Order: sequence, then C-alpha cells, then structure tokens
Amino acid sequence: MTGRIELPQGTLDLLILRTLLSGAQHGWAISERVQQVSSEVLSIQQGSLYPALHRLERRGWIKAKWGTSENNRRAKFYELTREGKRQLELETEAWRKLTLAVEQVLEGA
Amino acid sequence: MLNDLHYRLRALFQRKAVEEELDEELRFHFDCQVEKYMRGGMTQEEAKRRARLVFGGHEQVKEDCREARGTSVIETTIEDMKYALRQLWANPTFALVMILTLALSIGANSAIFSVINGVLLKRLPYPQPERLVRIFLSNADFPKFPLNPFDFLDFRARNHSFESMAAFTRGDVQLSGAGEPIHLNGFGITSGYFRVLGLQPQLGREFDFNSEIPGNGLQIILSDRVWHTQFGADPNIIGRKITLNMQPFTVVGVMPPGTEHPGNGYHAVAYGENVDVWWPFSFAGNSNNRGPHFIEGIARLKPGVSVEQGRAEMNAIMAQMAREHPSDSGWKVLVVSLHSEIVGARRQLLYVLLGAVGMVLLIACANTANLLLARASSRQREIAVRLAMGAPRLRVVRQLLTESLLISLAGGALGLILAFGGVRALVALLPADFPRSHDIHVSGSVLAFTLIISILTGILFGLAPAMQASHTDPKQGLQQGGRTTTASRHQNRLRSALVMAEVSLACVLLVGAGLMLRTFLNLMHLDSGFQEENVLTATLSLPHVRYKDEQTSQFFDKLETSLSALPGVESAGAGSDVPWTGYDENSGFNIEGKKPAPHQEFHARYHMATQGYFRAMGIPLLAGRFFNEGDRHGARPVVIINRAMAERYWPGEDVIGKRITFEDEPKKDDDWLTIVGVVGDVKDQPSSTSAEPAFWWSELQVAQPDMSIAIRTRSDARQVADGLRSAVHTLDPELAVADVKLMNQVVDASISAPRFTLVMVSLFAGLAILLAGIGAYGVIAYTVAQRTQEFSLRVALGAQRKALLRMVLAQSARLVVPGTIVGLALALSLGQVVQSLLYGVSAADPLIFAIVALLVMVVALFASYVPARRAANADPMIALRAE
Repeated sequence: MTGRIELPQGTLDLLILRTLLSGAQHGWAISERVQQVSSEVLSIQQGSLYPALHRLERRGWIKAKWGTSENNRRAKFYELTREGKRQLELETEAWRKLTLAVEQVLEGA
Repeated sequence: MLNDLHYRLRALFQRKAVEEELDEELRFHFDCQVEKYMRGGMTQEEAKRRARLVFGGHEQVKEDCREARGTSVIETTIEDMKYALRQLWANPTFALVMILTLALSIGANSAIFSVINGVLLKRLPYPQPERLVRIFLSNADFPKFPLNPFDFLDFRARNHSFESMAAFTRGDVQLSGAGEPIHLNGFGITSGYFRVLGLQPQLGREFDFNSEIPGNGLQIILSDRVWHTQFGADPNIIGRKITLNMQPFTVVGVMPPGTEHPGNGYHAVAYGENVDVWWPFSFAGNSNNRGPHFIEGIARLKPGVSVEQGRAEMNAIMAQMAREHPSDSGWKVLVVSLHSEIVGARRQLLYVLLGAVGMVLLIACANTANLLLARASSRQREIAVRLAMGAPRLRVVRQLLTESLLISLAGGALGLILAFGGVRALVALLPADFPRSHDIHVSGSVLAFTLIISILTGILFGLAPAMQASHTDPKQGLQQGGRTTTASRHQNRLRSALVMAEVSLACVLLVGAGLMLRTFLNLMHLDSGFQEENVLTATLSLPHVRYKDEQTSQFFDKLETSLSALPGVESAGAGSDVPWTGYDENSGFNIEGKKPAPHQEFHARYHMATQGYFRAMGIPLLAGRFFNEGDRHGARPVVIINRAMAERYWPGEDVIGKRITFEDEPKKDDDWLTIVGVVGDVKDQPSSTSAEPAFWWSELQVAQPDMSIAIRTRSDARQVADGLRSAVHTLDPELAVADVKLMNQVVDASISAPRFTLVMVSLFAGLAILLAGIGAYGVIAYTVAQRTQEFSLRVALGAQRKALLRMVLAQSARLVVPGTIVGLALALSLGQVVQSLLYGVSAADPLIFAIVALLVMVVALFASYVPARRAANADPMIALRAE
C-alpha cells in the first residue's frame, strides 16, 4: 500500500458527498471510486466508511434505498439529498479556502 | 432535525430490520472485495482470507455503525439488559441469593434513612424554623434551667437580636361540663407566643399584652383536636364560655391542625401535637423579688442574626441584670436552636444506627462482589470469546456492570417494599417520647435515597469483578477450553480480602450488639429502689377554686383511706410524682448548724407524699419512720429524706432529728423541719449515674393539689382501676382521673430507648454474621472445588482424609483470624462513639470481645466444614481419570 496517505480528519464526509454527486452508489462502489479517481492515493477503510454513511444518512444529507448491483445482487444505494448538495457546496468551498490558505503559508514561509 | 428523529426512531424500534440491513450491506461489501481479489488471480480461499484481514473486526464495524446511528446508548443498554437477564435467568439461585441479601440490607438502610430524614433532616413545621431558638439559664449545678418571669420580661424588653420572644409553662386544666370531666394538657403562654412560632389561629386571635395583666387570665385558646372532639367544631365557638378548673373561661382562639408543641423541659410534654389548650400567662408579684424559675423562653432571631450573636447579647443583658438583682448573679444564658433542642439528644443514636446499617450494606456488597467474582471466573471463556470477536473491553465492563446494576436495582426495589413494612415496625418500636416520630415515613427523599444507594451498591460490588473479567486474556481464556478455569492468584487474593472485610465488619456489629445487650440487661436487672409489680398509678389535680389548703389535705387523706379499703389493695398513697417519669423539681435549703461553701447552696429534689405513698411504691424505710396521721397542718413540720441526701449533707451522722429550713433567717421553731425518716434511693431515670439527694414533705402539711396516686394490690393491679375512679368520684364527681397506668408500664417506657437500640443493632449484627458466614462458605467452597484434582491426587497418593479436613479448615482460619483481629480493633476504636448509649458496661468489655471472637470462629468453622468434608472425601479416581 505504498503511496497511499491517511485521510485527514473531516475529509471523509466531503469525499463521500462528492462521489455521490454523479449519482446513487453503493458503499463498495464509493470506496472503489475514491481510490480510482485519486490515482490509488486515497483509500477508505470499510471500518470508517460504513459508520460515516450511517452518520450522513442520519443527518439527512444522503438517503438510502435498496437496488440491484451490476452483478445482480441486492445492494444498498446511497444518493445525495437536496440538503446534501448544499452541504457539499459549503464543504467544498471551505476545503478550497483551507487548502488555498495552507498553500499560501507553505509558499510564503 | 425531523429526519434525524425519524432515523433514530426507526433505528430504535425496527432494530432487528436495521441490524439485518447492516449485516447484508457489510456482507455485500465483503463479497465484492473477495471478487476483486479473485479477479486479481487469487484462489477463493486466499481471497476470503485476505478480505477478512483488510475488513478488520466485523463486530467493531457494526458497533461503530450503531454508534453513528446515534441510538447506541439506549440500544446497547437494552441489549445489555436482555443479555444480563438471560444470564441471571440461567442461574436463578445465584441471582436470588444476591437479590435477597441486597434487598434486606438496602431495605434496612432505607428504613433507617426514613427515620433520619423524618427526624433530623426534615424542616420543623414552622416558617423559617432555623431562626427559632430556646432560651435557658445555666450554672454549675443546673446546666439547663427555666427562667423566672421577671428575668423574661427584662430579656424581652432589652434585646435587639430577636424579632419576637415569648415564654410558656406547663399548666394542665380540667374541662368539665357534659359527662366525666377530662384532663387537658395545657400551657400558659405570654402574648406573641404563636407569632414567635410563625403560627396563626384558624379562628379568633392569640393573646395580647392585656392578657399578661393579672386578673385578665380567664381566656383560652383551643387546639383543633379539642375544638373537634369536645365542641363539635362549633364555628361560633369564639366568645363562648367553657368551664375549666371549675371557672368560666372565654374562648378567644382556635389553633389550626398541625400546631406542634415545640417541646419543653419543665414538666415536659414531648414535641408534637400534644397540647390541648393554651391560657394566658400573667406576671403577678414584685419584680424586685425575682422568685422561682419555672417559665421557658422561646424566640425568633432577626434575619441575619446568628444563634451565637443572640447568645452573646443575652449574656450581656444577664450581666446587667445581675448588677441590679443579686439573686440573678451566677447565671449564664443558654440560647439553643430549636431544632437541636428537639432532636439533639437522639442524633447520636440515629447516627450510630445509620453507621451500623451502612456496615451491613458494605458486607452485602462484599458478599455480592464475591459471588460475582466466582462467577466471572467460570464465565471467563464466554468473555474471552467476546473479546476475541472484537468487542472492546469497555463494552465488556459495561455489560457486566449492567448485570450488577440490574441485580442491585432489583434488590433496591424489593428492599423498598421491605422498607415500607420495616418503617411501620420501626415507628411502633420507637420510645414513646421519641421526637417527630409521626414525621417518619417512606417519602420522596427516601425513594431517591434508595435509588441512589442501589446504583452505588451496584457499581461498588460490580466494578471490581467487571474490571477483572475484562482483563481476561482472550488467548488464555480460549485455550483453557471447556474445563472449569482456575482463577488467577490475584483474583483469589481479592476474594479473600473481601471475606476478611466482611468478617471484620460483622465483628464490629456483633460487639455493638453485645454492648447493647449488656446495657439492656443491666437496666432490666437494676435495683430500681422501688417495687413496680402490682402497682397502679394515676394523676389527679384539685382545682384551686374549690380546694384550699385545708380541703386539699383532707381530700387526699380521705381518698387514701377509701382506696386502702378497696378489696385486694395492700396499700395506697399519693405523691407529687412517681419514679422515672421525668420529675425534676429542686429547692435550696439551709441546714441547722452547717454553712454551705460560697456559691454552693444546699439543694435537693423536693417531693410530697402521704402516709401510704412509700409503702405503695415499695420504697424501703432505712431509718426512723414514714409519715403518719399526726404529721398534719399545725403539728411540728417534718420531712423524710433519701439516703443520698443523708450521705451528702450528714456523712457518717445519725440524721433522725436533724433540722432543715427554707428561711434565710429562721425565727420561730415552726420554720424548722425535722427529719423523721430516711428512705432508699430512687434514681431520676434507670440510666442516671446515681440518685439525686431528695426529701419529701408531708402532704398533710403542704397541701400540694397535683398528685400522683399509687395503689399496691395483691394480684393484678388493673382490676383496681374502676375502684379508683369511683372512689374519686364519690368524693368529687367533677374531678378527672388521668394517666391511669401500671407502674410496670412506666418502667417499660423508661428503658424503651435502650430496648430499641438493642433490637436494631442485634438485627443488623445477625444479618451481618449471616452474610459473612455465607461469604466465608462461598470462598472456601469455591477453592475446594478448584482444587478437587489436587485433593484427589493427594488421596490417591495416600494422604489422610483427616489431614485434608484440617488443611481446608486451616485455610478458613487464615481468612477469619485476621478478619476478626481487625474487626475487634475497629470495634475498640469505635467504642468512644457508643459509650454514651451504654449503661454499666465499658465499650471495651473483654468478655464481650472474647465471646464475639469465639462466635465468629464457630460460625466460620461451621461455614467451612461442609466444603472441608467434601475435600476430605475427594475421589482418587478423578485424579487418575483426568490426567
């Protein structure tokens, strides 16, 4: 697992929400997608993925329904709610600001 | 927000569905992972193994998801409780023993707390009761003395510390009119008495300053009870005239129900709704001649003024008064908060009982902890499995604690039921004069107390076993497989320490019970100085209106004659009081030819008696003679003294014929009283250290109107009660015969406090030794079971069975001997606490300590004998088969 880095605190929610922007996904697909898009740098452990999904569902940012997966099995699909979309925008903006600021500090120092 | 709630509710109430969904979701993920690995070229076996590694503890993920759902606290608690219930159900005897022992000890604690709550903690039923104080005088001879009326007037006029101040004094009255006259508990009160207490009449008004003027005294305030029982709650009672002491009194007020008498010391009436009527106290006489002390002060402090400040000011006023009136010198003023005046004397007894019952609870905790520890080691495998499946240690601790809390709460609930019954029994057992006993019941605070101690108990006895169990090494626990696992050394040590602690505490309680028993027996078999068998007593008051001195003397003379003539009567007489009823009148006097030391006047209890009184009471004559019919008005004044007075003032002398006087400068011969007899000593109370010096006037010479009748009969004295009533009513149909009771009852009541303490402490001690015995049995039986193999092996190798028996008993002794030593040392150091509750026995009584040590040994031996026998009968085949 060389080249992978641990997720900074609080970014897991952001990644899940962003991944779901393109449509409903089940848990396995979410973790695969994040790993793939991040060029294998980010990986989500199952141990934190499912608790996070349940937490987001409780907050009403995503909702779950049962559907059929690509390999024809019953799977739980998650999709963004309207509130979730708003939350994604907020968090994205916050993240941009944060990274920009960190960047500036790193450059300037 | 709504979404959140909906989500949580679904998680909570459709838990099963939610859990299944979670399971399916995680399985799906796992399968996808396996497929991915297989696509990468792994075999199915390999892929599964790999996925399991990556996946981590399945249980842990589920636990985290539950937590994320935000319902975990309730949910896991429910789950833990179901689990705990299953565990308890699986071993009902074990659960029952724990719950019952806890119920007994928690119930006992709740019952004692009910008493403490009602008596000590609950506020007195007056507004702002913390500002109420009682005022007494004090000097070297009389630590707590009533005031004289003129001192009171000065106190009231000069102080700045008190919002209001009043005085009161006992003065019972007779109500006549319809039917048999009745005796009413009455108090003379100054104006503002009820204002001090913060109470207001429900009808009419209380007395004003006018009522304090002599001649304005024919007014009365009724209690709610008398208003109801005697006057049918007549709403127009105010202004009505009623006949008291054969005189017309005008009703000016009716107090509401719940008007509690604050208690008093002089001719005491206990705290509570014990007063029937109040009449106005008037200040007659010359204020320069301060006179006798017989009224009691009560006052309400101004807001912000402390009891100490009040006391300081009163003493400054007293010093002023002493300069103005020489007879006021030598006194200090005592200002005592009303609360401590009412309950102060009982506080220590209650704390001792609370301590004792607390020890019982500690023993029950230790016992329960021990049982749990024993079980935890047999559950080691189960816990090891749970830990291996990824359950966090904290979760295991929580689970075990849930179990112990369930046990303790069940014990608490059952204990509360016991407490309801126990409190009723307790109140019935309380001494009659116990303050505030009608305030004792299982109240809200008692419920809260029970809940809190139940929870604390559960944590106390559950924590150590739970912690220890959670430190089970999963590997070891699993390896040991199906065999009953052996407890660690550490665990055995903990169990032994718990038993030792139980034994120690039980020793302390047993010593306490022994001391109380000795105290009680000492008081029971005390040489009282009188003979209480077959004696009936009653009280009579002759109203002054009808009975002048002459008539009073004649009345008691005639009554004595007619009572003596009743069938079955051995002797009859009348006295100012009967023994052990709290009588404490004092008088100073001078002795012919003797001078007292400065500031130390001669003084003694004074009483009155008729000719037959001493014979009826069974008080022996030691020298001289009893009174006879010649000792009447006009004859030479005579007096009978007790042995204590003879020994104090005429040590080694023959006292018959010696003379005393109450005049400072006796002129006539009639000013002198001649001692004609010496009688045996009778103490004020059975527990008093010694009898007070005392003397008796001849009733025929002093004509005291309030007397106690004593009738000694040949058989059951109760049979003479009707004869007494008719004898009195033949002489005067308007007199009330009150307080009819057997002298046996008086004696019984006077030792009711030590009896109560004895019953309570013995009960707790019995419970304690039973629990400690169970504890010792548990530990020994457990270790014997653990060592079955070893014992069988020893037998197989030729060990003597007797030797095995001795070995186990020795092990038990190693627990009990140190426990007993510690316990006895603890009891010795606590001796000071109970010394004042004891009579005639030292708190370090060697006999009691020896008996307790022996008793504990016997119980321990008995408790360990059964397991020891089992060890001695070990089957050698077990060893051979097992290895």
